[in-house]
Amino acid sequence: MNKTVLAAIIVVIAMLGFTYVAVGMAGGMGGEGDWVNKLAVLGAVVLVIVTSFVVTKYVRQMQNDRAGGKLADENWDGIGEYKNELPFGWAVIFLGLVIWAVWYFLAGYPVNAYSQIGEYNEEVAAHDAKFEAEHANMDDETLKEMGGSIFIVQCAPCHGLQADGIDGKAANLNVRLEEKTVKHVINNGQGMLGFPAPMPDRNGLMNVNTNALITDAEIDAVAKYVAGGMKGTEGADVFAGTCAACHGADGKGMEMVAPSIAEFNPTLVADVLKHGKKGAIGAMPAFNNLTEAQVKALGAYVTDLSK
Amino acid sequence: MFHWLEKHPFFFAVAIFVTIAFAGLIEILPNFAQASQPVVGTKPYTTLELAGRHVYIKNNCMGCHSQLIRPFKSETDRYGHYSLSGEYAYDRPFLWGSKRTGPDLMRVGNYRTTDWHENHMKDPAAVVPGSIMPAYRWMFKNAADIDTAYAEQITVNKVFKTPYNTEIPMADGTKATVPLAATVDEAKAAALVEAKVIAADMKDQDVKDAVAAGQIPEIVAIIAYLNSLK
Repeated sequence: MNKTVLAAIIVVIAMLGFTYVAVGMAGGMGGEGDWVNKLAVLGAVVLVIVTSFVVTKYVRQMQNDRAGGKLADENWDGIGEYKNELPFGWAVIFLGLVIWAVWYFLAGYPVNAYSQIGEYNEEVAAHDAKFEAEHANMDDETLKEMGGSIFIVQCAPCHGLQADGIDGKAANLNVRLEEKTVKHVINNGQGMLGFPAPMPDRNGLMNVNTNALITDAEIDAVAKYVAGGMKGTEGADVFAGTCAACHGADGKGMEMVAPSIAEFNPTLVADVLKHGKKGAIGAMPAFNNLTEAQVKALGAYVTDLSK
Repeated sequence: MFHWLEKHPFFFAVAIFVTIAFAGLIEILPNFAQASQPVVGTKPYTTLELAGRHVYIKNNCMGCHSQLIRPFKSETDRYGHYSLSGEYAYDRPFLWGSKRTGPDLMRVGNYRTTDWHENHMKDPAAVVPGSIMPAYRWMFKNAADIDTAYAEQITVNKVFKTPYNTEIPMADGTKATVPLAATVDEAKAAALVEAKVIAADMKDQDVKDAVAAGQIPEIVAIIAYLNSLK
């Protein structure tokens, strides 16, 4: 018998023995083994036999085969090359790879490749869809709660956790207006809130009661009146004569004309967030990165602060 | 040709290198060239902003603050659009940083203002409770180094062709021009004009007086730089 065949038979017996011992120890061959285990053992046996057969065949072929065929013209220091046909299976795989390469180059890679930005866009789209579904119809409590948490992140660095403006470093949102803010606006005007006609400075503010430009004394009086919540009589006539034309008799503003100076409301908050502001205290940048729902929530929260 | 190559091992090795490098070249070089182009809206720094950038580097701000927003929802929610490589086109060197003890500053100019920076630099804990950032009070006294900033402007203009005195397209379709002064005195005068705009929004009387007297404290320069980060 050929030495190779003998070696193959020894290997087969050794591997089958090893498999039997290994599976047997796992309890697969005994009566308690189920059919999946038996099938696995059968598969292992077939694999071992087929592998041995194939290996034996090729080892014998290497031992016995001699090269032959038509020699190519090229010759490198006595080393030549036969012009044999391509093996059929190899040729099929080669052609298949050529076709696959064209597909991969034109479609496979460009269309299906991983992209970090693509993953980010999917993440954002999924989050936005979930957010909108979850917060489509928020009640007032939820709006305020959401506004509060946005406030801590986006607004508190300047307005403070208590929304008190941190000792005058930013506007105190617990009151609608402070005296110096009112004076500053009257003296300098305000045109940042997106209204078609910006508020003029003091050179454009007439007091219809006196039919003259507003005076220093009147500014002091009306600033106290507005900052004090529009109570009492001092400054009330100046307000009625000068401010009420745009801001309304009750100071609650008019749509498309002037904002409310009696209280915060969601529209005012949205306008400030959209345009930013610059006034007596300093400048506030616009916050256009907030979503519509977030602006609404902040509006509800800030409105609630001064109530 | 192939027979010739096979007889010359050195050139054969070169040919193999070129063949293998080819895929890399066509994959990497065009992308790299495209990505390093300035993003529309990216401007070179003015003299004062550049002086502020030097203050930023001198005080090692990048030790605690990054300037690189990664494309994650949690980051873009807080800091704005993720960073693009073309936005660093005029940063020499870039100040990405590798550690965030403090927040990212890539777009801090969008959501902080001059007066906030002034309060914060003087006493960080006063505006951000619990902040461990130290106060940088010496910036209110030390003078910014406009000469070095101007020297850098000239250098990057000559060596890297940084587009000063050139119309640059902005994101909203307009054109912007960042001027480069002809002499150092002109550069100082232009920086002072910028500094006055910033000092007008500040509260510190010493800084206001210094700017009115023609000096530029470091705080003004660094605020100009931080405001330019958008």
